[in-house]
Amino acid sequence: MRMMLMICAALLATPATAQQFAEGSEAAEWGLLGEEKARFEADVVDLLCRVAGDCPADCGAGRRQLGLLRVADGVLVLPLKNGQPLFSGAATDLAPYCGQRVTVDGLLIGDPDQTPVKYYMVQAVRPAGSDGWAKTERFTEVWAERNPDRADKSGEWYRHDPRVEGQIAAQGYLGRGTAEEAEYLKGLVGE
Amino acid sequence: MRFLALLGIPLAAPALAAEPQRIQVTGEAIDTWCYFSGVMGGADAVVGTAHHTCALWCAAGGIPVGLLAEDGTVYMVLRIGADDHANGGDTLLTVASHTLTADGILHVRDGINYLLVDEVVEDAGVTRLSHLDYDFVPPFAAPQKVE
Repeated sequence: MRMMLMICAALLATPATAQQFAEGSEAAEWGLLGEEKARFEADVVDLLCRVAGDCPADCGAGRRQLGLLRVADGVLVLPLKNGQPLFSGAATDLAPYCGQRVTVDGLLIGDPDQTPVKYYMVQAVRPAGSDGWAKTERFTEVWAERNPDRADKSGEWYRHDPRVEGQIAAQGYLGRGTAEEAEYLKGLVGE
Repeated sequence: MRFLALLGIPLAAPALAAEPQRIQVTGEAIDTWCYFSGVMGGADAVVGTAHHTCALWCAAGGIPVGLLAEDGTVYMVLRIGADDHANGGDTLLTVASHTLTADGILHVRDGINYLLVDEVVEDAGVTRLSHLDYDFVPPFAAPQKVE
């Protein structure tokens, strides 16, 4: 009996492998480190609440990082990226689903030589049991709402973000001050 | 698996969580997407000065910020002090690429280190001069012209 319980404990403590979640995935390939397609059901959770018991309403109303508590094995998956091309995380796209069970489709990533776990890129999400997939493209829409005076400018959002502009103005492109980098930039990009 | 069902044990396991512990860690505030995905190049190229502008973009975009310690361990920052705005908030934006010494509570969950920073003990600024080896990563992060 003792051996059986030990086997049970070992089985229960073993997260599912990434390959188990590839079935049915229609995620786009990105050629990332350790990339594996993965579609799974999960509960959208506030990470601060889940790990530390600090639980405001609405998962912090978009302020916090969100996790995906995978139904199949109970693993708390950390999404790093939404499905948009550049520099946008997943929390803004997942926030409307706070506390809900969803199905997500995307990519598990991470080189096993660098990290013992896989992180996630969410490319699409839908409420569990529904047919209506939503691509995870909400970030730029929300950014435009927050920055109406910048939203009409041509080019990517990050080139017009006022907070990024402020940081570069204060610390420079290299982050060590505009005076220190001036000579370097002249040599790199010309006068 | 059948005997588990017979025993009435659900097949979905509870997540693995260790007891929280207070730690003090020194590391660079990194953009975890570029670091773990390899989308912009190797790990040495996506830290420090070379990647600073990209780290600003990613912090503003809500990519989780991590502290990369010297031993290679990454600690995902969920809050700094009372500021829980880890999805693109100002505090994490202002420390992008900085080497920080942080005191806080570590929660390990399913192999991921989550750090709740109580205090930034030291902010050494951007210390890793990676632009000397890599220029700008990605190259389009370089300014188009000198102001």
